[in-house]
Amino acid sequence: MKKYILNTIIIFFFLNSNAYAYLDPGSGSLILQAILGFIAASLATISFYWSKLKTFFSKFLKKNKKSEKN
Amino acid sequence: MKKIEIEAGSFRDPAGTIFYHKNKVYRVLNDEGKKRFEFLKKNELLKNLVSKKLVISSNQINPQILEFKEFFNKQILEHDKIDYISYPYEWSFQQLKDAAIHHLDLHLHLLNNNATLIDGSAFNIQFIGHKPIFIDILSIKEYEEGEYWKAHKQFCENFLNPLILKSKKNIDFNNWFRGNLEGITTKDLNSALSFTDKISYNIFVQVVLLNYLENKTIKDNKINISKVNKTKFPKKSYISILKNIKILITNLKVKKDKTIWSDYSKNNTYKIEEENNKKNIVEEFSKKFKFDTLADLGCNDGVYSQICLKNGCKHVVGFDYDLNAISNAFKSSKKNNLNFLPLYFDASNPSPNLGWLQSERKGFLQRAKFSGMLSLAFEHHLAIAKNIPLDQVIEFLTNIAPRGLIEFVPKDDYTIKKMLSLKGDIFKDYTEDNFKNILSRTSKIESEKMVSTSGRKIFEYSKIFSKKP
Repeated sequence: MKKYILNTIIIFFFLNSNAYAYLDPGSGSLILQAILGFIAASLATISFYWSKLKTFFSKFLKKNKKSEKN
Repeated sequence: MKKIEIEAGSFRDPAGTIFYHKNKVYRVLNDEGKKRFEFLKKNELLKNLVSKKLVISSNQINPQILEFKEFFNKQILEHDKIDYISYPYEWSFQQLKDAAIHHLDLHLHLLNNNATLIDGSAFNIQFIGHKPIFIDILSIKEYEEGEYWKAHKQFCENFLNPLILKSKKNIDFNNWFRGNLEGITTKDLNSALSFTDKISYNIFVQVVLLNYLENKTIKDNKINISKVNKTKFPKKSYISILKNIKILITNLKVKKDKTIWSDYSKNNTYKIEEENNKKNIVEEFSKKFKFDTLADLGCNDGVYSQICLKNGCKHVVGFDYDLNAISNAFKSSKKNNLNFLPLYFDASNPSPNLGWLQSERKGFLQRAKFSGMLSLAFEHHLAIAKNIPLDQVIEFLTNIAPRGLIEFVPKDDYTIKKMLSLKGDIFKDYTEDNFKNILSRTSKIESEKMVSTSGRKIFEYSKIFSKKP
């Protein structure tokens, strides 16, 4: 499963069928950083929408509570 | 007029060339070097880095003072001189760890100031006493939006992997690193680590995943790395990788194991009175000469080195082949804030000249130019334990410094009796008289003092250069 996800990420981002470029030994490190950067960005996006969702629901719940009190 | 001496190890970055002249360190800059130096001067970045003691003090000088016509139109920097250049394979775990954290702190500071490092070499860190300092200011360049940490692989091989190897497997990295100056590869480390060692987010990412990706990029020719390079790498991610590696390194610890020498000064074979005798002799010797640089061979945890520093010596480098003793010595150098650098060293196989043209990293004999030397309870480890002829041992020791103290341990001593009980006495010429005769060939014996009831004696010598054979 782990291997499958990794392969998908690599294929999705970096594959180019015409490429026969020389790969220096640091290529793995560059891809690792790209993956980590991608994960961090995804997490940031998720947490951004998550917090939006949370504030939306908390407002919604507060409104409900207020209306219940009234 | 004395000529300049080019540093053979400075070819790797063609932006500048290090050279030595009259015991000072200079760097001549080419166009790329000038550009990087201009950037360092902008917003007082260099001044700021020097004041924070992150990088070595470096000043632009008037090339005319060097009196070399070929330099008159060049841009030249003078760097503070490091008393003794040491290499990562001579450091203990804690020293490499401190060096790694220093490197990361510098890099994080640079990124906050719109700059970055072009390499991740442990050879760019040196020690002033126990404090690490970055010496290659031309490795600093302006940060370009979206760029990757190109030296990540080098940083891992030079710092992270050797530290993980020692911490997780209790394998010393020193001889391995000396064998491969690029450090320890992720492939080798991944093979050495067990499944349980890999159950950690950071080790999984930095070792297992990195190794997988390195293999993948070598085998799979469909991967287009230039496409990766064109994808922008956010600065936030750059900083977060550096911070994660810093956390990983900070948490790496060494399993404690005791060796014969690690608590030597606490558990040695001398009586307290005899030990005090020795301490007094070292104290007197230090007070008399107040050496600029002193080598303490077989320094153990650095008790005698500390006496030298307390009594007027400015800088002491300790040498010992027991890494636990070096670790303890470094700990006490840090605790007492001393100008004392303990290093891993096997006198029967000292660091050789290594690297390109065998001159990139200098061997011990080329670097060992001290003004004073201590060799206490040391010579018998070469002459008896390693079968090295006594005259060669004495020549080796007296070549390290023109003045020094050598403790001679006679055959009647308990330690040697123990050594010979298994080996048998094959050392017919190992006598005090012979020792004195050989020493007198090249040196004047200033004094000889008995320090133990078993007949151990400390000889103070001063070298007579005119009689050198």
